[in-house]
Amino acid sequence: MFTLRRWWDRHRLQAILLGLSLGAALFLRQTDGAILYELYRVLGLPFQPNQKEAVLQNAQIEELQQRLTEMESQNQQLRELLGTVKNEKKQVAIAPLVGRSADHWWQHILLGKGSSAGVKTGDYVMASGGLVGRIVNVTPHTSRVLLLSDPSSRVGVTVSRSRFMGYIRGQAANRAVMEFFDKVPDVRQGDVITTSSLSHLYPAGLPVGRVESVNMNKSPAPEATIELTAPVSFLEWGMIYPHTKPLGAEAEPNQTPDQ
Amino acid sequence: MMLRNQSLVATWLERPGTRVVANCAVTAFSVLICLLVSPTRLPGMELAGIGPNWVLIWVVAWSVKRSMFQGAIAGLVLGLIQDGMTADTPTHVFSLMTVGFLTARIRKQRYLQEDFISIALITFAMAVIAETVTAVQYSFENSRTLVEIWTYHQLIALASAVLSSLWAPIVYFPLNRWWQRINTLDQQS
Repeated sequence: MFTLRRWWDRHRLQAILLGLSLGAALFLRQTDGAILYELYRVLGLPFQPNQKEAVLQNAQIEELQQRLTEMESQNQQLRELLGTVKNEKKQVAIAPLVGRSADHWWQHILLGKGSSAGVKTGDYVMASGGLVGRIVNVTPHTSRVLLLSDPSSRVGVTVSRSRFMGYIRGQAANRAVMEFFDKVPDVRQGDVITTSSLSHLYPAGLPVGRVESVNMNKSPAPEATIELTAPVSFLEWGMIYPHTKPLGAEAEPNQTPDQ
Repeated sequence: MMLRNQSLVATWLERPGTRVVANCAVTAFSVLICLLVSPTRLPGMELAGIGPNWVLIWVVAWSVKRSMFQGAIAGLVLGLIQDGMTADTPTHVFSLMTVGFLTARIRKQRYLQEDFISIALITFAMAVIAETVTAVQYSFENSRTLVEIWTYHQLIALASAVLSSLWAPIVYFPLNRWWQRINTLDQQS
């Protein structure tokens, strides 16, 4: 007892500081660093490009997007007339890219809009060019996106020309590897790859990338290298779309294979 | 400015409590800066999309002149925070604790007097070790194939080691000066 008392007298300060720092670290870990990312967002605000300017610069893209939206909704209506699908209403939030992963093993990006703008975990993110990834974490003003190029993100995809299915696995930078389910798929260099209807985490038909090379001799199933069409390494804006998962597809938010 | 500085030193000499608070505030602030810089990729500060590992630099700066226990604790605390900021499988705690422990184990001041290059060298070695620990952790999981992990490891370990070692003095020098000054004050009072 006495030694304990003496130890306490001598090391009181260190012990208290140790407890405080460990407590703070645990708190930050449990809240997924939400405070840090909020602070980061606030401090980074003056360095953000002006949204209006960017919109002006991209006026033509805007126009094309609007036309596309128009086409999509027409398509939607026609499909509904046919009775094939009943789709959710889509709302877009456009968010600037404010940061990248705080560690090199994960391919994350940080977008400057969060739950206060209606962004939820599980929403998917597109950029001009195609699919980018999906949101794995939100704070009030930021959201973290797990990119398609991350090796842990797996997406069910299909070759849009021949409808052969497979799944892609990220390979850092802007490459992904597609593994086919069939032994002899009909696939060529340059084929467009889109998300398949078997994917739980993304709606079907989103453009993902192009086939760069095909390896038919790969065992157990043929593989193709995919070049992602969205320019992930110099992205400036991301468009966030809500995604309602189909029933029975309550996947883990972080890294479940999605095939 | 000089006068004010001296009066500040005098207050700290008289009141150890204020000194401790100031020391904690500066230390915590430096950690915060390192954490906030890690998601950025400033132009000229990245190689193949990989930036310096600021958290690791801080752990090295902290552990160089401290005991192995203190180094490991710093690794634990920052590892937990980084887990929160990215993803916690595999955890960053092991790699950063190893870094803190080994850096303190080197006992730099006994063998190396010179500061600039030795800090860069230590950071280089520690960055490689840290990425290797992470790669080993990945190897025990089944989420990625071994070939993928170790080819990616080469890229990350090299790029992050080069950049971290070059940027390490920026964190180390101000912090080291501050801690030295606090140390001398501690001994005077």
